[in-house]
Parts: sequence; structure tokens; C-alpha cells
Amino acid sequence: MSFAVRMKGITKHFGAVAALNNVDLEVAPGTIHAIVGENGAGKTTLMRVLYGALHPDSGTLEVEGNPVRFTSSREAIEAGVGMVSQHYGIIPAISCLQNLILGAEGGTLLNLKSAAERAQELADHMGFQFDWLKDAETLSPAGAQKLEILKLLWRKARIMILDEPTAMLSPADSAALFESLDRLAAEGATIILVTHRLPEVLDHCSRVTVLRGGVRVDERLVSETNGQQLAELIVGGSVAKHTPREAPIEAPVSLEIKGLTVKGSRGDMALKGIDLKVRHGEMLGIAGVDGSGQRELFHTLVGLIKAAEGSVILNDQDLLAKSPSERIEDGVRIIAEDRHEEAVIEDWSLDENASLGLQRLAPFANGPWVDSAKRHEKAGEIALRFKTKHGGLNLPMASLSGGNQQRFVAARALCLNPKLILAFQPARGLDLKGTQDVYDGIRAACAEGAAAIVVSFDLDELLEQCDRLAAMNGGRLAEPDAAHARDRTAIGRLMVGVG
Amino acid sequence: MLSLLLLTVALSTPLILAAMGGFTSERGGVINIGLEGMMLMAACADALASPKFGPVGGLLIGIFAAVCISLLHWLVTQIYKIDHVISGMALNAIAAGGTNFMHLKFTDEAHKGSVPNFPTWVFYILAFVIPIVLWGYVRQTRGGLRLLAVGSDPDKARLMGVQPMRVRFFGLLATGVLTGIAGVELVAYTGVFTDNMTAGRGYIALAALILGGWRPLPALGACLAFGFFSALQVQLQGTPVFGISIPAEMWAALPYLVTIVALAGFLGKNRTPAGLGRA
Repeated sequence: MSFAVRMKGITKHFGAVAALNNVDLEVAPGTIHAIVGENGAGKTTLMRVLYGALHPDSGTLEVEGNPVRFTSSREAIEAGVGMVSQHYGIIPAISCLQNLILGAEGGTLLNLKSAAERAQELADHMGFQFDWLKDAETLSPAGAQKLEILKLLWRKARIMILDEPTAMLSPADSAALFESLDRLAAEGATIILVTHRLPEVLDHCSRVTVLRGGVRVDERLVSETNGQQLAELIVGGSVAKHTPREAPIEAPVSLEIKGLTVKGSRGDMALKGIDLKVRHGEMLGIAGVDGSGQRELFHTLVGLIKAAEGSVILNDQDLLAKSPSERIEDGVRIIAEDRHEEAVIEDWSLDENASLGLQRLAPFANGPWVDSAKRHEKAGEIALRFKTKHGGLNLPMASLSGGNQQRFVAARALCLNPKLILAFQPARGLDLKGTQDVYDGIRAACAEGAAAIVVSFDLDELLEQCDRLAAMNGGRLAEPDAAHARDRTAIGRLMVGVG
Repeated sequence: MLSLLLLTVALSTPLILAAMGGFTSERGGVINIGLEGMMLMAACADALASPKFGPVGGLLIGIFAAVCISLLHWLVTQIYKIDHVISGMALNAIAAGGTNFMHLKFTDEAHKGSVPNFPTWVFYILAFVIPIVLWGYVRQTRGGLRLLAVGSDPDKARLMGVQPMRVRFFGLLATGVLTGIAGVELVAYTGVFTDNMTAGRGYIALAALILGGWRPLPALGACLAFGFFSALQVQLQGTPVFGISIPAEMWAALPYLVTIVALAGFLGKNRTPAGLGRA
């Protein structure tokens, strides 16, 4: 049998660490093949080797039966291999059409008219809608994902690598994406899916490869395995199923939001009269598609944007009257959505990043002075909390992988007596175990009386972890009635604004 | 009135050419405050060379001098990853000192009065044609698209098989050519080279480029506006306003004041190339 992709004995070291150790991968043509594993298991590294972005120390690579040796992504693209990375490769400042053709323009002079025609043909074929001349910054995450797939088709990729493609998508958009992928596979494309969502593997893939610690642990037919077994293979031990608290919380209200209205960046209303109560010790999950107003809600609560109307009371104090630094003193903590932009300074050390945002509080500050000894101690605690893997607290944040940065940022938000925890996708980029650790951490802070609001685009994650759920759509917040408080379909309907 | 228009065009031309040079560099993500030094180097080289080699030789050597500075900027910022602003400042310092030295040391006494050169209308035409050419270039060619992409996000562009260093090399090559022409124009207009004759025009061109949102045609407009206010102050100098006579220095400050107000107040949508200054 001939394979679309055949990797044998791939080994790759970063410094002294073996990211991949003698890994084999065989992918049959015309199938969807899943690669699963924890963070740092080597999934993305293996895919970057296949895409020519990394050069393995040893091992061989065959694409469609031909031995190949890629020295750059350009060569991989020419051999028919395409990759959509976790952070999309869409450049917001140029148009959708320009993004589509970039790197594969087909001539010195651009023929935008015929390019637009061919682009439209591809889009029609996949059932996608695009306004080709609009800047790509207007695209939703789902739109960007679709454009990425068209980019692969434009380059005539026959082997498509998708790294965590549904991380930013709503359930409906994910379902649509898999419909497209099923169709592409049926037409003969080979799809390699890197994911941490096991339902996707079980529902859509035919084979699955499990990596752990840079080693291929197992490869199975999906029809011959199940979720529990895969989860155990991934973490290398048994996984306890988490059960959320069933009894309603009777503690007093900690956070009360009334009629909160906020202007959006384009002059429209980003929040349209939000009413919400969160009790001490309660973890509230907010479901919703990206861009429904979750970002503005969090930014208003931490003081980055001003409310137009409404009131916010936190533990009997008027939160909106306070400056961001006073809010931090009152215990408002955020696990920010965009780690790079809002949560860490990548050139700074872990020590320095540990005090970021908390720099006025003890033990980081001692009067006007920075207490670097205590800061170092605290940074060590923060790193230890969720087992952040690092090479030293004096190294820059940039030396950590995305998942490890997330662990650090989450632990920082929970470290100094939080009263209100605002967590935006707190488990973004984390594996099953890391996700559970972070939620358990938030849960522990709640047990000490804090209130928590968690925003996630993954409804199942919220259902599993939170005490109570609400949904946002178009700047409004809605809660399901008591009978449907944990009903997936009912909340899904609220997410798209159908009561 | 006609003289005001002509003077506007004459005073705008070096700014437009330099601003277009800034465009091919900055739109590809390379911050370039060295425009001033490149112009100055070209002006000096032209003044030294054209008495011997004629206008064509002078122009070519002038362009060559600016290209050398410009590619040095590429080498320093792209290969050695030095901060773009620091490199630009160093180049300006080298050009200021270097031209002063070469001018004193090598100027041919026999040609001190005036150097042969092209008629200025040649440059005026170029100043209006080049922005249109660049406008078409970024919209309609592969090279133009790649320049935009690299200037917006070099990392993502690299993932799509584009090589940022290569794209920026050609961008800075064009910067050298355009600032070279701008420098030669200064000598053609005044007839001689004088120390520091660019007098901040490189910075004003950069301001015009920013004011134009890093787009060739609006930048052309911004250069013309600056040229207009410069021409206006020349014409109005000495005219009393409401019976009060205003010192010449105040008039001379007018175009700069307008530039500052415009930069501060009318920038509007942020069009800064997101990859500016990024490796």
C-alpha cells in the first residue's frame, strides 16, 4: 500500500531536549488522520518538519512515495504539502484576495480579475462566501479559517496539515469546517489534523496517532478505540472524569452588573444592557461565538474601556468609579485573551513577568521599591503552580512554549488573593491535564470566596467545568431557564440569538 | 499666481522623490530616517562628478552614492539586525560629515560656480510620474504585493514562501535610486553643492509619507501641500499682516508649523505598516 506521507525515525532536538524521538508516521491517501497528544508532546514540531519549516536531526520523509528532503516551506508547498498553523497566517492589512494569492501569484504582473474568478470558483466549490476585495481584518475567526483552507487549495496542496483548526470556532462553525474537510478527503485530499479535542477525532478521523513526550505511543484505527482509552494513552495514566457541582450556590452576591452598556470600537454598541449576578464562590461560564461582546465586557470590568451606562458593584463597592490600579488592589484579576498583547512581555524574564499588573502589591513592591528577592520567590511559586516548564526564571518569557506561557499567566492571576477572576479562554493551548489543573485552580480560588467569570468558545468545556452558564450574542447576555440550565442545545440556541 | 504654482512644484519635487524613496523602504517594513543622508550623499557626488563626466555621469554617480548608503542600511538592519532608527541616524551623521569633507577636499576649483546638470523640468516630470508608477506597482504586481505583505507581517509572509530580506533588498535598492535622483535635483536646482544643503528635507519627506498613510498618491499630495506653504512664505515674506510686519524667520517657520499641526491632528485611521521595524 502506498502512503501519502511516510515519516520514519524522525528525531529532532532543541538544545539538549529531544522534541521528537524516533517518531514514525504513516498516513493513507484520502483520509483524515488525527495526531493527538499533550502540549509539548511534539505534535506541532512533527508537522513543522513535514512542512519544511524545521529540519530533523535524523529520519526520512516520503511524500506520495517519493523520498524528499525539504529545506524550506517553499519546497514543501511545491511538493503538495500545505499547513494551516494555530495562529492563522492571514495578514489583516491586505485584502482577502491578496492573502489568497500571496506567495503563489502565478506571474510578475498580477491578473487580479482572473485571480478573483478562480478564487470565486474555489469558494463556490467549498460553499464559502467571501468579499474578496475587503481587507482581511474584517474576517471573523471562522472566515479566516475558511480563507486558510482556500489558500491550501489555491496552492494545489494534496496533503493538508491543520493545527488545532477549531480552537477559535463556535460549534456550528466547527461542524461546517468538518463538513468541508470530509468533502476534501472524499475528493482525494489527505488531511492531517492536530487536535486536543477527542470528539473531533472520534467523529471525523479514520486513524489516530498518539504522541507523548516526543515519542509515538500508539497508532490506531479510530473505529477500534474510544475516548477514554485515547485520553489514557495521551496522559499515560487514567483520567478521572470531573463532575460539576449540582447544588445551587446560596452565598451572597459578589458581583452585580446592571444595565451595562458600552460603545464598541466602530461606534456601534458592543454591550447592550448587560445584567448579571455572580455569587461568592461561583464560577460562571459565558458561552458565545467570538466577538459577541465578551472582550468588551472584560475590558470594561478591568477598566480599559469606559461604560456608557449602567453600574457594576463588586463586594459593595462601585467598581466603575475606580481606576484600573485600584481595581487590581480590590482583587480584580484577568487571564487575558491575547497572551502576547495583553498578558506578557516576551523580552522580559519570568521574574519580571510575574509582577506584571501586580507590581504595586506586596510582595512585589516594597514602598516605591521593587523587592526582587521576594519577586523571584513568588515567580517560582507561580511557575510551580501549574507546572510551567522553563529553563530558569531569569530567562525571557519568549523562551517558553505557548502552553507554558498560558500556565504561567493563569497561575499569576490566581496568586495574590483574587476576588474577581476574569478568565478568557483560560485553557487556551493547554492539554487535557493542563486544562483541568487551571480550572481546579480557579475552583480553589472560588472556594475561598472569589467570584469567577470564564469565557470560552468551547461550550463542552464550560458545561464540564462551570457552576452556571450564560450565553452572549451581539452584545446581549442571556441565561437559560432553570429547566435547561445545562442543556447543550438550549445554550447553543442562545449563542446564536435564538431564544 | 503662476509663479506661485511653479515655485510650489519646484519646492515639492525633491520632497516627492525622497518620500517615494521612503515609501519603497518603509512599506516593506524598514524604518528609514536616513533619507536625508542618502539625498545629501547623492547631491555631493553629483556636484563632484558632473564637471568631469557630464550630467548623465553625475546623475549615475549620484544615484550610486545614495544606493551605497541605502544598501548599507539594508545590511545593517536586515543582516546584522541593528535597530532601524539607530542605523538611520548613523547614516545621516556619516553623510553630513562625509560630504563636508569630500566637498572641501575634492571640489574642482575651475567649476566652483556652477555644475552642469539636467534641466529641472526633467525632475518635475519624474516627481509626478513616479508616485503613479509606484501606486500601480503595489496594486498590480507580484513584487508590490510581496512588499505590502512583508511590511505588514514578515513572519506570516515567510510562512507563505516569501523571503522578507530579499523583498526588502529590492525595496532599499529603489530607495537608493529615488533618493539619489532627489539629491541630484537639489544640485540641478541651485547649481552648486553647499554643506548640509538638504536642510531637513529628508525628514519632511518622511513626515509627508506618514501624513499620506504610507500610500504614494496621498504622500504626493502631502509633499505638494508642504511645497505650497514653502512657496507661499517666500512670496509673503515682508508683507505686513494687519499692519504688523512679521519677521522673516516667522514666515520661514510656516511650512513646518503646518506639517506639525497636520501630523498631530489629521492623521485619521492608523495605516502604519504593522511590520515596521520588525525582523
